[in-house]
Amino acid sequence: MTDRSAAAAPDAVLVRRVLDGDVEAYAVLVVRYRARYVRFATHMLGSVEDAEEALQDAFVRAYRSLARCEDPERFGSWLFRILVNRCRTAGARRGRRERTIVHDEIALRDAAEDHPEESVAWREEIGRALERLPAEQREAFLLKHVEDLSYEEISAVTGVGVSALKMRVKRACDRLRDQLREVYSARE
Amino acid sequence: MHESDEVIERVAMTLRREAVAVSPDFDARVMQQVREESRQVAAPGVWRWMTRSRTVRVSPLAGLAVAAGVAGVVALAAREGTVDVPAGAPAPVAIPAASVPNQQMMQFVFVNDSASKVAIVGDFNDWDEGVSPLRRVSDKGVWTITIPLAPGRYQYTFVVDGTTWVPDPGAPRTLEDDFGRPNSVITVGDATT
Repeated sequence: MTDRSAAAAPDAVLVRRVLDGDVEAYAVLVVRYRARYVRFATHMLGSVEDAEEALQDAFVRAYRSLARCEDPERFGSWLFRILVNRCRTAGARRGRRERTIVHDEIALRDAAEDHPEESVAWREEIGRALERLPAEQREAFLLKHVEDLSYEEISAVTGVGVSALKMRVKRACDRLRDQLREVYSARE
Repeated sequence: MHESDEVIERVAMTLRREAVAVSPDFDARVMQQVREESRQVAAPGVWRWMTRSRTVRVSPLAGLAVAAGVAGVVALAAREGTVDVPAGAPAPVAIPAASVPNQQMMQFVFVNDSASKVAIVGDFNDWDEGVSPLRRVSDKGVWTITIPLAPGRYQYTFVVDGTTWVPDPGAPRTLEDDFGRPNSVITVGDATT
């Protein structure tokens, strides 16, 4: 299989290759999922450094347990479930660092230029508001409103019932509104 | 749109638009660790998972069924040095008891009279179903395996017919593992790490 065809191969094909001993096929899965998943981990942990550590840990654990992946076509969902758990563990172990929501200044500036309404200050306020949320509310909010998962999907990822998840999301939204309404109005 | 909903939508949009780049060497770091894992897997099976370093945690001893089995098997191991495997049975792990300092022979018992095969997977065998098959020792569906374990805390579960994961009914459970399923927990010896 060429590099190009490997990059286009379905997850199930790559998982099969890895299980058959082609370790390098796993690199395609790493490239495929790292960008989206590091975003979630960064939002959860408030630090790119911690997010990378959690994501690396998730990739390695997934590799180690690949034979347990019951539905290789849904490797990405399975990996994401591992990552959510690693973020929980990392968050509980270290707490959120004082320097929360660390972002590359250049990336932030570029984002602001692409979307002028998204100022650096606004993004920093969001970071602080997220930081103040209890971890379980932050997790539910991010999965629902940023990762755009359904409640059923979130339940499958987190092991938490749909009713409890709805309550967490509602409370998260209430808190975020309270904390950000004033800043948001001032932007306009 | 109501202003309060607008705030939430704007927050979500800001976060969704955000592209967080990983470090340039992220892929290399992951794959280096993965390759190390693969080399460990390629090493001779039993010795690999018995000797590799692993995180060990402490908790109260597992359930009575497991504990009751331990005493008899530890005595057997001390006397003979190996675990007896009947001819014709699936081969469970058989290792000299003294191959790793302080290890104890732990017997795991599982009852299921309709299963055609049962395996145990856990921290001690990299969750590999092929490493530790249980052998059926009675027509009432009693399955057992004895595994030498160094002092420490281990998560494990049984796999019935290669498809169904069943926690040990006689042992404490974790809330969930990395995959959202509860595992059983056993603590060997008086590990303090």
